[in-house]
Amino acid sequence: MQIDIWIAIVVAAIGTYALRVGPLLWTQRHFNKHKANNTEARLPLWLSVLGPLMIAAMLGTSLIPKTPSTASWIATVIGTVVTVFIWRKTKSLGLPVFCGVLSFGIVFGLVLGADVKLPG
Amino acid sequence: MSQLSLNSGLKQGVIDGLPLLGGYIPVAISFGVIAVQAGFSTLEATLISAFIYAGASQFLLVAMVASGAPLWLAVCMTLLVNVRHVVYAPNLVPYLPQSKAWPYLMHGLTDQIFALAHTCLPGMDDTNKVGWFKGVSMVAWLSWIIGTALGGIGGDSLTQQWPMLDSVMPFALPALFLVLLAPKFSSKLWSLTLLVTMTAALVLALSTFKNAAIPLAAMCGAITYYLLTLNGERKQSHAN
Repeated sequence: MQIDIWIAIVVAAIGTYALRVGPLLWTQRHFNKHKANNTEARLPLWLSVLGPLMIAAMLGTSLIPKTPSTASWIATVIGTVVTVFIWRKTKSLGLPVFCGVLSFGIVFGLVLGADVKLPG
Repeated sequence: MSQLSLNSGLKQGVIDGLPLLGGYIPVAISFGVIAVQAGFSTLEATLISAFIYAGASQFLLVAMVASGAPLWLAVCMTLLVNVRHVVYAPNLVPYLPQSKAWPYLMHGLTDQIFALAHTCLPGMDDTNKVGWFKGVSMVAWLSWIIGTALGGIGGDSLTQQWPMLDSVMPFALPALFLVLLAPKFSSKLWSLTLLVTMTAALVLALSTFKNAAIPLAAMCGAITYYLLTLNGERKQSHAN
């Protein structure tokens, strides 16, 4: 590969790392300053609100199936319902995800199988 | 920090990171396939995954380089897609104990690791946090690297052999986000705000604004939160 492409990749890698680490260092310094002055440091309200909102936005985008079709959308709805149901029962992390993926797979396979058998 | 608590945190982190494999490996395999088709070698694709380590932007970078777009523009677009990461670390700082390891560990702060850390760190013992973060981010990072290498070596035949796996396993990511977000539906204000954000993200991702869907949807959510809070304050002052 050409050297200029490698330079671009290195710049993109350093830039991405800077976007992750820069705000950490800045916020830590802000918190440490408050600690030294014996005052309570708080995140600005807009920033603390953005945290959960980013997770909600990621959930929204990730709900779109990799290959959108009737089968995958039905499986997404069932998988979502099963995940929430198991989470309400167990309040755990791994089991709801496992059951969600399993139900998604079963429904996807069943509906896809039914689709294939339909004439025309 | 004792070695024992570091190890127990590390172990818990590895366990908590396992659901990520379902989402990371199929996408990493796809990246490996696309990068090789675009003219990169398997080693080059794997190095991109190891050092840039940011899903959507890697696809964009490889596609732009392959199409002959100016390199400065490809780098700018990559960074623009990743700019959402700036809000992640500040949201975690209140839960991070003092350690020199955090700046190095930030290389692993992806969308999914942030979502996991934002939910798990507040309830965790301080002595376990560094180990936990190392464990969870190592699982994710290694699966991303190994997935890319597999994709570069034989991704096409892998996805052809197990087409169901390729379609089913990525559901692990929305299932994980769902579980992480579920406890936050604790009030009418937050439930409405989160629902608006999720719907906006879904609609935007289905439209032409796919790469900007996450920040734009989060902005919609922030406006909703502000308007609902304002409305609540007005009602309260009327009642008084």
